[in-house]
Amino acid sequence: MNTRNAALIAELSDELEPVRPMRAREGYAVLALAGAVTIGAVWMVAGLWDGVLTGTASPFFVIINGLLLLVALAAIGASIALASPHVGNRQDGPRWALAMLGVMPIAAIAMMLGQGSGVASLIDPHAFTCFAAGSATSALTFVALAWWLKRGAPVSTTLSGTIAGVAAGAAGSFAYGLSCPIDGLAHLGIWHVLPVVVCGALGRIAVPRIIRW
Amino acid sequence: MIADETTLAHLMRKAQGGDKRAYAVLLDECSNWLQRYFRKRVPPQQLDDLVQDVLMSVHRKRSSWDPDRAFMPWLAAIARYRWVDHLRKVYRTAEDELGDHDAAEESEEEAVMARMSLDRLFVHLPQKQAEVIEMVKIEGLSIVEASERTGQSESLVKVNIHRGLKKLSAMIEKAE
Repeated sequence: MNTRNAALIAELSDELEPVRPMRAREGYAVLALAGAVTIGAVWMVAGLWDGVLTGTASPFFVIINGLLLLVALAAIGASIALASPHVGNRQDGPRWALAMLGVMPIAAIAMMLGQGSGVASLIDPHAFTCFAAGSATSALTFVALAWWLKRGAPVSTTLSGTIAGVAAGAAGSFAYGLSCPIDGLAHLGIWHVLPVVVCGALGRIAVPRIIRW
Repeated sequence: MIADETTLAHLMRKAQGGDKRAYAVLLDECSNWLQRYFRKRVPPQQLDDLVQDVLMSVHRKRSSWDPDRAFMPWLAAIARYRWVDHLRKVYRTAEDELGDHDAAEESEEEAVMARMSLDRLFVHLPQKQAEVIEMVKIEGLSIVEASERTGQSESLVKVNIHRGLKKLSAMIEKAE
């Protein structure tokens, strides 16, 4: 070993402090807590809709909220894994989950075209409220994931940021969706999916800026 | 001594707990491994700097290693990240010749090494991008020289380097 490397190793060893390793299960626990607090907050502020329990909810309510939950879980798992770099990390799950969710807005638009109704038919009176609330509800999950990634060592910062944003958007929209009684395809397929896209873009821009090597 | 995965993981666990002696041994082993890992992919003059960059990243990000996972793929991911970063920053001068420092692959974990090697990343790049990155960023040719050798226009050489490095940075954790 050359003397420069030896000097550096001596210096780094000398200043070593114990650290708490980032175990994936700890990350899942943090995110589970963030999710529980988010759903609790939605419950307290807006109340949860009982459409599923009373049998009045349309299948779209279950399908789209179920897909949002799957996207959130897949993307949260990927984000936690990306914080601990590893040659051999594969993060295909969120892509496939997103592709499945992406069918919903396409179906909504196809129905609109098929019925000959205009774009205006996709915009209901609660559309922007649901979009804004779903996006705002993603904040806690977003902060938790950004914190986890900042603690970690993501080597793909743009991908990590995008996936974290998607995870937060999907989790937030799912949580807010539990309170929303509008269960049509156009409303859920467009306005409850849009926060995922917007938060993904925000994560892609914002998260790489806070990661320091 | 060439430490194996089990030994390195054991040393890293102790280092995360604050054991300075174990940490010094670990960094020494990492330094040796990194020297071999980068040998054919950076000029000898830049090898120490790059190894030291990686060691400092290992130090700063040591908590990001999950003791439930293997150590070597974690180290290799950080090494690849730093190497791509290095390719971006460093524009080699013509006198920095690559030496023929090929060492015998002493490690018994050759298969694992092969999966994590830097050459492996180049396989996934289109030929035109890989060859101009090799020429300009590793062999130290000028854009003009690379353009003459490959038949690509100068602007295309620059575009292919830019696109190739962007692709490399997106493939850092790729194993296949």
